[in-house]
Amino acid sequence: MKKHRSENRLALILVLPAVTGLIIFNYLPIFQSALFSLFDLEFTTNWRQADFVGLQNYVTVMQSDQFWYTFLFTLGFTVVAVTMDLTLGMLFALATFYVPRGMRGVLRSLIVVPWAVPKVIQASMWRWMLNSDVGPIGDILMRVGLVERPPLFLADPILAMSSVVFAYTWKGASIAAFFFMGGLALIPREVRESAIVDGAGAFRRFFSITLPMVIPTVFVALLYRSQDALRVFDVVYGLTGGGPGTSTDTLSSFAYQAYFRYAQFGRASTYAVVTFLLVATVGVAYISRIKERFSFVD
Amino acid sequence: MKKRSAVIRHRLISSLITVLIGLWCLFPVVWIVITSVKPLGTEYRIPVEYWPTNPTLDNYRTVLGERFTIQRSVWNSVLVSSGAVVGTLILSILSAYAIARMRFRLRFPTLYLMQIAGMIPPIMVIAPTFVLMRSLGLLRTHWAMIIPNMVYALPLSSFLIASYFANVSYELEDAARIDGAGTMTTIIRIILPIAAPGIFSAGVLAFLGSWGEFMLANTVSLGSAAVETVPVAVLSFSRAFNLQWGWVSAGTVISILPIMVAILFLQRVVVTGLSSGGSK
Repeated sequence: MKKHRSENRLALILVLPAVTGLIIFNYLPIFQSALFSLFDLEFTTNWRQADFVGLQNYVTVMQSDQFWYTFLFTLGFTVVAVTMDLTLGMLFALATFYVPRGMRGVLRSLIVVPWAVPKVIQASMWRWMLNSDVGPIGDILMRVGLVERPPLFLADPILAMSSVVFAYTWKGASIAAFFFMGGLALIPREVRESAIVDGAGAFRRFFSITLPMVIPTVFVALLYRSQDALRVFDVVYGLTGGGPGTSTDTLSSFAYQAYFRYAQFGRASTYAVVTFLLVATVGVAYISRIKERFSFVD
Repeated sequence: MKKRSAVIRHRLISSLITVLIGLWCLFPVVWIVITSVKPLGTEYRIPVEYWPTNPTLDNYRTVLGERFTIQRSVWNSVLVSSGAVVGTLILSILSAYAIARMRFRLRFPTLYLMQIAGMIPPIMVIAPTFVLMRSLGLLRTHWAMIIPNMVYALPLSSFLIASYFANVSYELEDAARIDGAGTMTTIIRIILPIAAPGIFSAGVLAFLGSWGEFMLANTVSLGSAAVETVPVAVLSFSRAFNLQWGWVSAGTVISILPIMVAILFLQRVVVTGLSSGGSK
């Protein structure tokens, strides 16, 4: 027997502080950033005194190769990084169900470690790992004979791009793994086990039986990870700083530099708006899920 | 016989998997720990030393000493994160109660407003937030980080808390009301104790969220070491002392160790929150 009180005013008072906070720090800024992007704002943030230029910032930005390069890199990064996150994450999650009960806890503790490291610190750790003189990754590649001398991971554009993806996935795979552990735990044990028992046909069984059953979870993980990848900032900023040149800049990291390094608030805001629109495109699918997540609110 | 060999095989493969995943997850962390105990300068020795020959704690003494005082950034992070957690929990307990247990006209719009906020990219809000904090005179203060972080954690924590609130029986609440308790008393006496696990896990995740937050902290601290949080300090460290990775590593270890230990202990809590989809 559920009873609800229709005490409109009390309810509004209870949600008011949270809603006010969200409006001030999340929703108003969307409009402010959009507004900034319509003004010629350099070395000032006072749009009232700046020249209104309409969509001129967008026109200029769209005509620059830099923008399209950064835009495409952000999209490419998202596709590759999310694919790697989900693939590795699924393997990790399956592994936790494959190993004997006693090892499960150990495995989970291992997987939680990358998640515990703040993104920007993770980036700085990988900068040291990928050091081209004494970084262990280059050294190991050299010792096993794959390369003659340690590669310039962060100085060569293609390698730098791969490094950013790799460092991002280090943490992303763990996050995806926890999504999938939740999803796999919900399907019947026999089904799960039939798919992770090694031997003939395990691969096929996974794709024809297990995967279809966890598709909803995969979809959710895909949503979250793509949103996160599209707005990626910390890893880029900490690992390559967008370099060499601006070859690993994403929309967010490029905008951040334009805001706070070059004080081009107008131009930077156009990058921010584009990021927002990209994330929002993915977000539309998420919105339909909100009601589902809150199914307990009848 | 066959069964036994299958068991052994299973064990072997499991161990192999665990070792591989362990290498992937721990290698960067272990490498930082190893670097941190190498005598300064020897981290650049070629061939690469995988095991430090003369381990020393000198780097730790340096980063904890007067020149760096990494402990100050740890303290800043503790302050910022705890402040944000307290604020988030109060705001989300209030709003979660309304959303989970009351029928009101703007219930669903409020719900959507709170949840959609979670996906707005930080870069979209950073400049206006910076401008706002500047006009309030809060730049280079902890408040400039506490207040926004408190808001950033709301979508997740209000979701987690609301899902617990919804399960508290209405009979229990009615009984309290019959005894003459008001809404606040009912929330505090009846609802909160039952929803404690949800509140705890919301608190832990909010803490971790603002502990790792970088963009805002970097922007509003404006290079002031007095308010810099751990991620900002470690990054500026690694930029400024690009050649002294012994120091950078020691600083990194000190700043991630407490959080790592806490997470290993609170794993269950963290995992529940993670799988309900709340990690940024």
